Amino acid sequence: MTDTPTIEEPDLPPPRRIPWRYALIALPLVVAGLVFWWGYNRSQPHQFSGAVIQGAAAAPDFTLDSDRGPVSLSDYEGKLVMMYFGYTFCPDVCPTTLSDIATALEMLDDDEAEQVQLIMVTIDPARDDAARMGDYVRHFDENFVGLSGSDEEIGSVATLYGIYYRAGEGTEATGYLMEHTATVLVVDRAGNVKVVIPFGVEPEGIAADLEYMLR
Amino acid sequence: MRRSIVGLLVVLALLAAACGGSADIEVSDVWGRPSPAAATNGAFYMVISNNTDAADHLVETSSDACGVAELHESMMSDGVMSMNPVGAAGIEVPAGGEAVLEVGGLHVMCIDKQAGFEEGDTYEITLEFEKAGPVVVEAEIKEG
Repeated sequence: MTDTPTIEEPDLPPPRRIPWRYALIALPLVVAGLVFWWGYNRSQPHQFSGAVIQGAAAAPDFTLDSDRGPVSLSDYEGKLVMMYFGYTFCPDVCPTTLSDIATALEMLDDDEAEQVQLIMVTIDPARDDAARMGDYVRHFDENFVGLSGSDEEIGSVATLYGIYYRAGEGTEATGYLMEHTATVLVVDRAGNVKVVIPFGVEPEGIAADLEYMLR
Repeated sequence: MRRSIVGLLVVLALLAAACGGSADIEVSDVWGRPSPAAATNGAFYMVISNNTDAADHLVETSSDACGVAELHESMMSDGVMSMNPVGAAGIEVPAGGEAVLEVGGLHVMCIDKQAGFEEGDTYEITLEFEKAGPVVVEAEIKEG
């Protein structure tokens, strides 16, 4: 019979308790750190993802048709208005842009998102009437507004905002395809065209620009 | 022994099929964005890998989900977006390399959508390669 080895428990010191008074010291330090960090972040100049237009240019008012009646830019006075010119026949860039903006708005607080209005203006009024525009934009966000009008009306609004568009050749199956300026213009709450967001800015960047403009 | 080799081959064949292609051409991350009924068209994106030492070309596509499916490319120049069909040579998949169909670039343009394109839907697309022949892949409808 062999001796069963006895396992000796090593003499561990009892776990040390952190005295409460340390927490009393640490807590104000943590709070002070957070306040400082918040203040520091706020004091840093915001890095826009979009391009800021130096020298405010007042956004000219216009009126076009939605499926719920005429809509003017001035209806949204005091809000941030994002303006996008595109067309529903476009399978790639236009839906991506609208989807990215919808995602960006979801990143904002509800009361911030309420202060932002997206307006999409068709540059293909021959295919996009007001009803189609409404159905199309509300798929991405039920508060989005889609506008159409006559060739002349669309042309004059596009000219006011420096938007280029042209019908390109396309294929037998597609018919003509539009070439168009694919940037998003942001009108600030004072009614000036302030920021131009190029295609491809991530939703996080769009949300940060909007948040900053809402401050 | 022989049985296990046969078994292995069957497993490999199934794996190859599950990857959506022959071993020569592999297609992954095939997707399209949900789009409203008011949108006539849609787009599909994917990554195509060529495991051979010769370049191949994606020359044609078709899908029951589309009236016609064409290969197009979006191009951005000075903020102006245009979209054009790719040339008759199709999309090159370089030897041992890959072709990426992505947002704002090359894509399968699904003209005259035949279905809803709701999140979670899947649609089969047949990709016709110059050398590898037809490869059937499944596209998932999802947000980005």
